Amino acid sequence: MTAECEKPLILIIDDEEALRDGCKQVLEKSGYAVLTAADGIEGVRLAREHSPDMAFIDLKMPNMSGMEIIEILSHDIPDIVLVMITGFASIVSAVEAMQKGAYDYLPKPFNPDQLRALTKRGLEHRRLKIETRKLREEKDQMEKNFITFVSHEMRSPLVVIRQYIEALQAIAGDRFEKDITEIIERCQKRIQSLERMIEHWLDISRIENGTLAQQKVPLNLASIISQSVEEMTPICRKRGIALETQIPQSLPQIKGDAESLVRVFSNIIGNATKYTPEGGKITVTCQHDEYYVHVSISDTGIGIPSDKLSLIFEPFFRCGGKSEKQSGFGLGLTFCKKIMESHNGNITVSSKEGEGTTFVLTFPSLMDTT
Amino acid sequence: MKKKKILLIDDDQDFLLATKLILEKGGYEVFMAENGKTGVEMWKSVKPDLAIIDMMMETWGEGFSVLNKIRATDTGKTTPLFMLSAVDLQGPYNAFEPPPDFPKVNKVLHKPIKADDLLKCIAQELGEQKA
Repeated sequence: MTAECEKPLILIIDDEEALRDGCKQVLEKSGYAVLTAADGIEGVRLAREHSPDMAFIDLKMPNMSGMEIIEILSHDIPDIVLVMITGFASIVSAVEAMQKGAYDYLPKPFNPDQLRALTKRGLEHRRLKIETRKLREEKDQMEKNFITFVSHEMRSPLVVIRQYIEALQAIAGDRFEKDITEIIERCQKRIQSLERMIEHWLDISRIENGTLAQQKVPLNLASIISQSVEEMTPICRKRGIALETQIPQSLPQIKGDAESLVRVFSNIIGNATKYTPEGGKITVTCQHDEYYVHVSISDTGIGIPSDKLSLIFEPFFRCGGKSEKQSGFGLGLTFCKKIMESHNGNITVSSKEGEGTTFVLTFPSLMDTT
Repeated sequence: MKKKKILLIDDDQDFLLATKLILEKGGYEVFMAENGKTGVEMWKSVKPDLAIIDMMMETWGEGFSVLNKIRATDTGKTTPLFMLSAVDLQGPYNAFEPPPDFPKVNKVLHKPIKADDLLKCIAQELGEQKA
């Protein structure tokens, strides 16, 4: 690519010698470097060798037509600005040239001022195009790096604290009283839960900027739900809550990422266990119509006050108290909502205090296109 | 018996200190370097029995360049070298695969390291009997 400080390089391809020389003189006087070619073959060769910033190409030439040259150059030379010189300024050929990648056209006869003006405008167009692309690439890279950077910067101090605790236990652990050991263990637990919170927050950021690794394939929700249910059964049993599923034998497939969807269902069932008293019940049912698959997850828990219902998908919003059972960061449902959005689906909630809460997840079903 | 020498190279002072305490408890003499350049210099002057190098100092790859330089020295050909990583596996580096001619790493450890695990790995590598 031509360096910024160098003169912009212009290529003229025209079989008319007088026109080539005229253009060369005018443009060189204006401070540009100029190459000329008498036919398409020579023109393409020069262009490939020198990668000019801009080229003027005569439409009517023997051997290779201007239209062909434009097609080749716009494909081969990145960011080149192509201008079609045309003797019969027909709109049709101008439009065709633009479609093939030309920036503009210059009808013959033209005077030096027109040539200079168009050259200036073309080069400015090129500069802006390159600058815009660079900025866009830089922005994309920054967004991606930001998450990696934040994750590294937030985790490093936690890693160090945990390493110090390890050191403390290694050098003096056998001298500690039981209560000191307990304090250290609690510190460790809180640090680990902070690490998990960072992990969840990063997941949400990754969904937002599209860097969360998701592999969307056709899948059956029944198997996803049963994986989740299996995962959540021990905790339900421990808390004395029944977990039931009602899923029809045949379900239309959906397109989704199995891993994140299992997390979505586990999250919602897990939430339900936190707010459902012993002896309660969580029911997962699945229905479908022509276009959608609906999964509803209902509990017989304490319910959500209506004034808080609209806030529960907000990050860091927490309904419940701070008891151990209801611990969490308020990021679980935000995660679920983002994942559902990334699947072109949605999640809604309805609740009645004292009776229970129902979440409904709607997925577009995969249409049979065979 | 003379204590065996371990060189720690990491740009985090606190991580160096915490790890040093564990290693000293394990009966080793510990040398610390806060950057790659000092690390390589200390490698030559101290001649440790084992070195532990952080993968991600200042820039990604600094750790690998230190590893290369150490492996290129006379004593560095056979001495056990450990790499430390706290790399986010979901990030853009998860695809990193060392090239086939990459210098040998005896062990990759993940931060934070459990004191027992660290001492066990070192003892194994140095062919010592664990007390």
